[in-house]
Amino acid sequence: MDDYTIGVLTNIALFSFVALSAYLLLLAGEMSFGQQAFFGVGAYCGGMLTTLFGWPLPAAVLAAMAAGAAAQFLVGLPTLRMRGLYFAMATLAAAEMMRILFELLHFQRSIEGDLVGPDGTQGFRSIRWVFEAGVEPAEYLALIVALLALVVAGFGLVERSRLGATLRMIGEDPELAASVGVNVERVKLGVAAVAGALAALGGVLYAHHNTYIEPRNFDIMLGVHSLAYALIGGLGTAVGPLLGVLLDVGALEGSRLFEGYRMTVFGGLVALLLIFRPRGLLDERVVHWLRARFS
Amino acid sequence: MLVDLAQNTLDGLTSGAAYALLALGFTLIFGVLRRMNLSYGPTIMFGAYCATWVSLNYQVGLLLLALITVAGAVLAGGYVERLCFAPHRRGSAIAAMVASFALWMQFEELATILLPRHLYAFPALYDGGPLTFGPLFLRVEALAMLAAAAAVCPMLWWTLYRTRFGLAVRAVISQPVAAELAGISAPRVFFLVFALASAIGGLTGYLIAASHEQVTPMLGMWTTLKGLLAMMLGGLGSLPGAVLGGLALGVIEAHTQWFLGPQMRDLIAYLLLFALLAINPPWMAAWTTTRSAS
Repeated sequence: MDDYTIGVLTNIALFSFVALSAYLLLLAGEMSFGQQAFFGVGAYCGGMLTTLFGWPLPAAVLAAMAAGAAAQFLVGLPTLRMRGLYFAMATLAAAEMMRILFELLHFQRSIEGDLVGPDGTQGFRSIRWVFEAGVEPAEYLALIVALLALVVAGFGLVERSRLGATLRMIGEDPELAASVGVNVERVKLGVAAVAGALAALGGVLYAHHNTYIEPRNFDIMLGVHSLAYALIGGLGTAVGPLLGVLLDVGALEGSRLFEGYRMTVFGGLVALLLIFRPRGLLDERVVHWLRARFS
Repeated sequence: MLVDLAQNTLDGLTSGAAYALLALGFTLIFGVLRRMNLSYGPTIMFGAYCATWVSLNYQVGLLLLALITVAGAVLAGGYVERLCFAPHRRGSAIAAMVASFALWMQFEELATILLPRHLYAFPALYDGGPLTFGPLFLRVEALAMLAAAAAVCPMLWWTLYRTRFGLAVRAVISQPVAAELAGISAPRVFFLVFALASAIGGLTGYLIAASHEQVTPMLGMWTTLKGLLAMMLGGLGSLPGAVLGGLALGVIEAHTQWFLGPQMRDLIAYLLLFALLAINPPWMAAWTTTRSAS
């Protein structure tokens, strides 16, 4: 594979994490405009740990995921009771606050003669752990894909379990779920923490792939894109969000087929697709049909 | 000090008038369709880009530019309604919203295809200096924005409460089934409401571009975010609330910017929104009843 293909594939895999976190919340009936914030928390937290404090990447990944989970748990406490648009707006407000906090974050130290660390709107340079450890881009891609496969497998297990059914029940009708003894608030908080950890996992890997991040990377565009990816790909299976990212980043950007018109083509296609498939390509019905057919 | 406070409040009211108009457009669409149009700002930006393109290529008057902005926004708004909202009228609100976001991407790219540089100058309303009222300054564009808000609000009230069209709109909101049985075409009402909201948006967009004296593709996101923020601050779905929310947002922003700088201005605006949503004061719940947006 040439570098360009590796770069495109890495981006597809990275954005899949944040799309999956939006998908998980959609399953529980919540539409978040704010998953970019936890992607950002992961990126900043992981990047600072490896550059400023000399942590190895695996430890930084775990810490970043914990930070993402904690952040979304905290945001979830006052917001998960809200429905529909209120939740979407509250998460948007939280995410924009987070982005502004990244803009205000100045924490630079001199490491081996270089000034590193986040420098507000000037961004955060030299997150070079992957290069310095001698990891080749293809190896890094393999690592990301392996992690993504693990996550998707995890989704597959959950969806087959009682917990998966509970999740979808909460998404369809939280009152009904509560009336049959489901602790809706507790499940939703758990979902929020997992979604935060997932987005942060994508973020920390993204920071180490790009080596440079800035607050603008984590604006509302990323959040709404991840929501759109989940909805285009389909709400029937965790493969759906991946398909959404693949269609946008892979088929359109990767092929360079519609150079200069990519967004026009993609936007029109998505709007048309949603008319015929309002729950995405791989919606519940298709997934059930496929399962019945192949199992 | 007192003069500064007064000047900031005046500046805040003028930018608040713009937010109020944007929030009115958002609220009209949300109140009638119960759907969220993320493309509202981008359609306005598209109208402003059409006007900018014309002003760069032809010698045209200010009034014509304003009309072109409104026409561009209405055209773009109609397109959004047909593609994103008419098909999802009875279906999924999330699908409609994501579809409107997809068209946002289209408008942003179309704007950069039409005018590829990042920033273009937009003709101001008036070349002279600001008007002075004692120690206070007021730009002509700001005065025009205040006047526009002062004119649009009563006109909108009159349209909604004193015309047959307004009656049809209110009927579709409160009793959709009965309204259809009485021969009101809901799809037609939705389309016209969209066009009306886009026209208000176009007018606001023209005044914003004229007062900034520039347009960038960011105008789309800016108008969507400010309009949403103002609408939510005023309580979702109430027209007077939208106006109050817009004015309040403008005044709060002007003061926080003066005392704390632009980043804190935005931070505090979002913090306020977040806190309001979390506390959920009674005036915000008044309109929402049990209908969720999903």
